[in-house]
Amino acid sequence: MVAAAFLQAGAVVWFETLRDSSGEAMMRAGQRFDHQTRMNRVVAQLENEHRSYLLIGLPVFRADFDRRWREYVNLPTLLVQYVDEEQDKKSVAEVDRQLQQWHQMVTDLMDRREQLADLPRVWQDQTAPPMRRIQNALDANQRRDFVLLNDQIRNASQLNFNNAIFTLALPAIDIIMLLVLVTVLARILLDPLAAIAESARQISGGNFDVRLPPARRDEIGALVKAFRDMSTAVQFRQRDLSSALSREREMSQMYSALRTNAEQESARLQATIATVPAALVILEAPSGRVVLQNTAADMLIGREPDAEADQQLYWESFHASYRDGRRCPVDEWGPRRALRGEVVVGQELIVKPQDGRTVPILVSAAPLRNDLGVITGAVAAFQDISNLYEIDRLKSEFVSIVSHELRTPLTSIKGSLQLLLTDVPMPDPDHRVLVDVALSNTDRLVRIINDILDISKIEAGKLELHPRPYDVHELVNLSIQSVGQIARGSSVALTPIVPPDIPKVNADPDRTIQAIVNLLSNALKCAPARSEVTLEVRSDPPGFVTVAIADRGRGIPAEKLSQLFQKFQQIDGADTRKLRGTGLGLAITKALVEMQGGSVGVTSEMGQGSTFWITIPVVK
Amino acid sequence: MKLLLAEDEPDVQLIARLSLKRAGFQVVPVNNGLEVLERVGAEAPDAILLDWMMPDMDGFETCMRLKADPATRDIPVIFLTAKVQESEVARALALGAAGCIGKPFDALTLGQQVLTILGK
Repeated sequence: MVAAAFLQAGAVVWFETLRDSSGEAMMRAGQRFDHQTRMNRVVAQLENEHRSYLLIGLPVFRADFDRRWREYVNLPTLLVQYVDEEQDKKSVAEVDRQLQQWHQMVTDLMDRREQLADLPRVWQDQTAPPMRRIQNALDANQRRDFVLLNDQIRNASQLNFNNAIFTLALPAIDIIMLLVLVTVLARILLDPLAAIAESARQISGGNFDVRLPPARRDEIGALVKAFRDMSTAVQFRQRDLSSALSREREMSQMYSALRTNAEQESARLQATIATVPAALVILEAPSGRVVLQNTAADMLIGREPDAEADQQLYWESFHASYRDGRRCPVDEWGPRRALRGEVVVGQELIVKPQDGRTVPILVSAAPLRNDLGVITGAVAAFQDISNLYEIDRLKSEFVSIVSHELRTPLTSIKGSLQLLLTDVPMPDPDHRVLVDVALSNTDRLVRIINDILDISKIEAGKLELHPRPYDVHELVNLSIQSVGQIARGSSVALTPIVPPDIPKVNADPDRTIQAIVNLLSNALKCAPARSEVTLEVRSDPPGFVTVAIADRGRGIPAEKLSQLFQKFQQIDGADTRKLRGTGLGLAITKALVEMQGGSVGVTSEMGQGSTFWITIPVVK
Repeated sequence: MKLLLAEDEPDVQLIARLSLKRAGFQVVPVNNGLEVLERVGAEAPDAILLDWMMPDMDGFETCMRLKADPATRDIPVIFLTAKVQESEVARALALGAAGCIGKPFDALTLGQQVLTILGK
């Protein structure tokens, strides 16, 4: 644009210069022509005036001629000012020189006029020809000047025409250039702006897939870049917003799902709590106020808790007591203990709710804590165990009934046989043996019943031991007495080894004797004929007394040792068949000894014999 | 010595009676606790042998009543128990029984056992 302006200015200047120069040229041509014309006129007048003087001779004519010559004298100089061409200048100078010569000649002649004859002839032959030549030259010059002037005029008018065109054209060009420029500018400026505007429209409509003008290094480029950046930022913002929106929608959905879930769960929980067959009670800490009680609880406890004031009364109204009859204070109640952080499992209580019943219940309770671990309440479950008590009672009854039922006929059999044996003379030894067999088998049956009863009591947890301080010597003696029959019957010697300084033990005498007797009778059965069975008492390990019974039998294989004290394990061997037990003896012995706080064990070596031992705790 | 024997099982009653007779006792057999209470006044035994389990009134209750009645309080009571539960013995003794003899008893020594319990 600037270049165009400069160009235009330059063109204008050039044109102006041209015009000036052509105007000037024209002016010069004009002047030249004028001067030439004047010169020609002056020379023509010179010719006329000299001829007039020459021919007529009036002094006025001479004066005119001189005056005229004075007028001419400067003319060449004046003329030559406006002559540019060297040749022309020479021509002017030549003409002038010729004219000067003529003038001189003419002047001479005019001065000698009086002396001259035939004046017309003088003119004709002397002055006229050079004058004619001069005038011809001058005419020629004038014609040339005229041509030149015409040329100049034509040039000038051409120039003017050009100038006019130019003057018209320049603005036209300017306008065109301006239009072009505007268009270009528009293209440069407005297109990107329009594109940006369009893009903005698209973006606001949500369509981010827009084409932006290519990058440029100028302000438009900066704008485009900025716009692109902004569009990208908007896009990201939009994305963030959408994802935030969809996240929020998700969360809102999740929230309602959770709430529905929670409501369902809560309903389910309520339903569960309501229908669970165990009585459930939920308390709040620290007051112990009942906040939830299910139907089963209502039925068990017999009443619903009312206002807060009643709480203490409510709990106390149960008159809870332990199974052994001791009263259970409210604070020892499972639920109250749970409120203090305790987990209570299987607390057996007897409660008397208001309706007068007596209900044995099993109480389990646990504290409820919040996230910080603070106790916020407690949940307690009560179970009516009247059934269990009943079953228990029936079990005990069953065992006692059965054993009674079994023992009763045995009593009769044994008694009858015994009386027969003593009262009826039986000379035939076989007869005596027969009765003997019946009697011993009766005894065996009794032993079996006793063992079964013992083991079932032990397993039901119903075997009660009553340990008290006892002298070991006495236990040993009583035990040996009990097996006296068997010992006397076999050829085995029973040797007690009891040091005098054995401390007293804490033992249930009957049951301890039962254990020792079991081991003794086993040993006597296993010992080979005429061998020795020893019963050794030792005061070890610390806190215990060991009673060890050793035989010299065949021994027991190592792999069988661990099984010995299990139920229904028999001692092998054909020779012991007669005296076989129930297989329960060692199991019962183990249970009895361990219930007292002692232990049992066996060591054995094949071919050498076995040693069975029990430990009894010492009186502290 | 006269013994009032309360035992509902006929066979056992027989064996006991025979056994005690051999030992020299005079035995008055009854079948249950009610009969004991009915006959005790008339018979005036030196001791009463009570079976633990009897119909209508068991040994436990019979003993309780005997001991509650000043007329019969001082007659020694001996229980015949199947020794099923340890608590039986304790309860018997707690009731004031003189002792217990376990069943099945040794028919040959029954009498001696009674005498031992009675302190003779």
